[in-house]
Amino acid sequence: MNNSQSTPDWLQQLEEQSRISQQAFMDNISTRLRRPRMTEAPAHPYRGAPEFWSGFQWSEQQRIDKFTTHFQEVGGHVVRLQTMGEAAEFIADHAMQMGARYLVRQQQPELAALRLEERLPDVQISSWNSDPDEAWTARAAEADIGVVIADGAAAYTGTVMVTSAAQQGRSVSLLPTVCIVILPVDRLYTRLGELLIPMDEIGRENLPAGMHFISGPSRSSDIENDLTIGVHGPGIIYTLLVG
Amino acid sequence: MKVSLFITCLSDAIYPRVGEAMVRLLAAHGVQLDFPPVQTCCGQPSYNSGYWEETRTAAKTILKAFESSDFVVSPSGSCTYMVHHYPELFKDDPHWLQLAHELEAKTYEFTQFLVQVLGITDVGAHFPYKVTYHPSCHGSRLLGVREEPMTLLSQVRGLELVPLPFAEDCCGFGGTFAVKMSDISGAMVSEKVDHIKETEAQVLVGLDMACLMNIAGNLRHRGEQVRVMHLAELLYEGVGVT
Amino acid sequence: MNPAQSTQGTVKERADVALNNDFLRNAVKFTTERLRSGKQAAATEHGNWEEWRERGRQIRLHTIAHLDYYLNTFVENARKNGVHVHFAPDTAAATDIVMTIARHKQAESVVKSKSMVSEELHINRALELAGIETIESDLGEYIIQLAGEGPSHIVIPAIHKNRYQIAELLSEDAGEELPPDTTILAGYVRRKLREKFLGADIGMTGCNFAIAETGSMVLFENEGNARMVTTLPKTQITLMGMERIIPSWEDLEVMATLLPRSATGQRLTMYMSGITGPKRTADGDGPEEMHIIIVDNGRSEQLGDPEFQELLNCIRCGACLNVCPVYRHIGGHSYGGTYSGPIGAVLTPALNRNVAEWDDIANASSLCGACYEACPVKIPLHDMLVYLRRRKVERGHGNRWESLGMKGFAVLMANSKRLALALKMGRIAQKPVVHDKGITIKMGPLKGWNTYRVAPSMADHSFREHWQELSEETRRTAPPMDAQTRDRMEQILRQRRASGITGGQHE
Repeated sequence: MNNSQSTPDWLQQLEEQSRISQQAFMDNISTRLRRPRMTEAPAHPYRGAPEFWSGFQWSEQQRIDKFTTHFQEVGGHVVRLQTMGEAAEFIADHAMQMGARYLVRQQQPELAALRLEERLPDVQISSWNSDPDEAWTARAAEADIGVVIADGAAAYTGTVMVTSAAQQGRSVSLLPTVCIVILPVDRLYTRLGELLIPMDEIGRENLPAGMHFISGPSRSSDIENDLTIGVHGPGIIYTLLVG
Repeated sequence: MKVSLFITCLSDAIYPRVGEAMVRLLAAHGVQLDFPPVQTCCGQPSYNSGYWEETRTAAKTILKAFESSDFVVSPSGSCTYMVHHYPELFKDDPHWLQLAHELEAKTYEFTQFLVQVLGITDVGAHFPYKVTYHPSCHGSRLLGVREEPMTLLSQVRGLELVPLPFAEDCCGFGGTFAVKMSDISGAMVSEKVDHIKETEAQVLVGLDMACLMNIAGNLRHRGEQVRVMHLAELLYEGVGVT
Repeated sequence: MNPAQSTQGTVKERADVALNNDFLRNAVKFTTERLRSGKQAAATEHGNWEEWRERGRQIRLHTIAHLDYYLNTFVENARKNGVHVHFAPDTAAATDIVMTIARHKQAESVVKSKSMVSEELHINRALELAGIETIESDLGEYIIQLAGEGPSHIVIPAIHKNRYQIAELLSEDAGEELPPDTTILAGYVRRKLREKFLGADIGMTGCNFAIAETGSMVLFENEGNARMVTTLPKTQITLMGMERIIPSWEDLEVMATLLPRSATGQRLTMYMSGITGPKRTADGDGPEEMHIIIVDNGRSEQLGDPEFQELLNCIRCGACLNVCPVYRHIGGHSYGGTYSGPIGAVLTPALNRNVAEWDDIANASSLCGACYEACPVKIPLHDMLVYLRRRKVERGHGNRWESLGMKGFAVLMANSKRLALALKMGRIAQKPVVHDKGITIKMGPLKGWNTYRVAPSMADHSFREHWQELSEETRRTAPPMDAQTRDRMEQILRQRRASGITGGQHE
């Protein structure tokens, strides 16, 4: 392969090769399965969880309790708050306590409304991707705190879901030392399936590039099965359950 | 009603006392066992080693031996489960396939027969010892015999059943495995005996003489005094039937 | 790194080395026991585990039975998402595609998250040969990379190493003495790899599941390194076994229920990421270019093979390793391939087209069935091990002495009179070596057995020799069968006849 070839040309060439290989690859599969190539969707009678599971629901209070228990059991923190104002206060207090110098947050109106800049005049606060010339991953990597809003959550597994977009960096929930997730209570569901099934319904075209389901702090048990927290991702994670 | 005893090689040649206990215990409940003398081996050694043609030869003698039986009862979960492989061995031979399906449906492991067929959970035994139970892999995992021995043991007067740590772990027998991979097998049986010793039981009971022979061999090698018995022997001794 | 090193000798020889390494045995035993009790607890807490297993099996069976449709659907959707998809029938093709991309990108460094496929392809070696720095970022993988070894467990690659050995490896890497303290060691790796993540040209991942209907790929992990690898470098390469497909996100709920619980006993791994194409134009992070390489490398050989097709259902949870008594004693490296434990014993010969590895891997099992019982998608590995042994015999690769022995076995078992005679002869032959109903000599086939045990002697009379007497005795003493028992038995017979005897288990 010639390095001087332009990337679009090169990719075009790879694409042509890929389409040729694809034909042979798929034909090999159907030949081995001893039938012609299957081009229509087959009936899938066992799609998704067993039937008894889809009716399983907890009440709001149970969802809150179970989410809290499950998230805490694996080393995450959960704080129950009534308003976004309380969330702002919590973040400000926490940033001051830990002596945070940099904070990065998603560029979302709900987070702007927290007015963290006013509450934390000594902390350098960045709003993700607000300046096209900034090296945003480097900003997130040096941040002490990353603040995000969850798109959804599942109580059964103690999981929050965050998604990527122009104003929502993947790095914000990943690179800072501490990750703070704001979870409005009305986004807290019972089962993981309630977050996953909508992905099928939304359809391919509308899916974000990155969907991240986070169930606690980064951890590893690779050395003598001894639990270590904060290996690559944030070692400290808070979910602020608001509403 | 013809209830036939499928004795299995080990109980025939090395542990006839197990077969004798079964015969006498069942006789006490009105079941006169029949013993077709033409029976040989279930074929498991050759089946597991990949010699299926040789296995078919052994399987045919078993299928013929029990062709006219209404029930077949055996002191081994493993040999009983082997019969479940017969349809696979004769899938291209309608005559033997039919016999294979019939034998599969009518063959019971000893405790299955007692509990499921005869409906007996209490044989009236008294056995005042500390006992631990090793569930053999094929009987418990593959044949699904889990509750029956527990039910029978729980009814024995004076018996203290001590749970065996990691009871479900294989003892390391595995037929030819114990010979071909003798060091791995040796490590496995040593671990099993370590767990048996932890229970401080006086008696180890089980449902398969192959596993029990393996464990008893290691116990004796290490000079341990634990007595090893098939459950049929324990129950028979416990009722003191003569 | 010399992956060939591990495949020298036979499984038996490698196992002997492992059996004499007390540390290794204790380390493997300790961790697998924790993992399997964790799994047990998680399955019990979740409840209805058998129903979930059955559902998982059905989804995998269905997908593999229609793999051409689902894989092709995935490919078309991934392309629409902007992914560059490639097909690799074998190791050489996969390596070639990776190297083509790396060269075009003029890559100097590749940072990887855990991928068993990349281990299978020995992709690190190819990259290193081309002078491209290749860094494993999973903590366990980083450790074994420094040690120049392959993984000894599908989920816990450095299960065989203790903290002292790890401290030594990491100290050498750091150029300073690091204490054998897990937190300090992990902290060092975090700092070291942070720089590598931020500076790498290419991020390389495996793929736990690929979702056909949306062309998305899904990764399960605990450390966050896979998120780093799919977020920071400008180019992402994903290596994916062709069978990793599931139809939909809805099906992912079942896999997400089974995989973490079976692997580590977790309700869910700390991170589960769904990646649908490269970053969107306006996004501030994520890869600008994304390649997915779909790897066959022997997998398609299992399609249409009724005995081995289910092997493709495997979701690589490692539960079969954690319950396997053989694995516990000999560790992963004894298996001599990338995949170890019961799944490795079947998968390695299968991926090698069932012929290249005619050594004794399939014999390293007592066929206890613990693997099948633990498998979240119910792959009958214990049966497959027997099929492998049978194929070896059928294709003339059996052991000559064993073949002769089995022929003799068949002759004996064809006729009970021959068997009875042989038993008599055996009883005579054993006389010189029997002491107190036991045999302790370590000779011939008894050598291995008697190293750990005392063999029992044959009984003074066999059961069949005593039968006549016994039968007469019970005929005299036994009471008649009571009516209730007779009714029960007749009822069972009637039911059996009514069902037409199609086999199957009782009840």
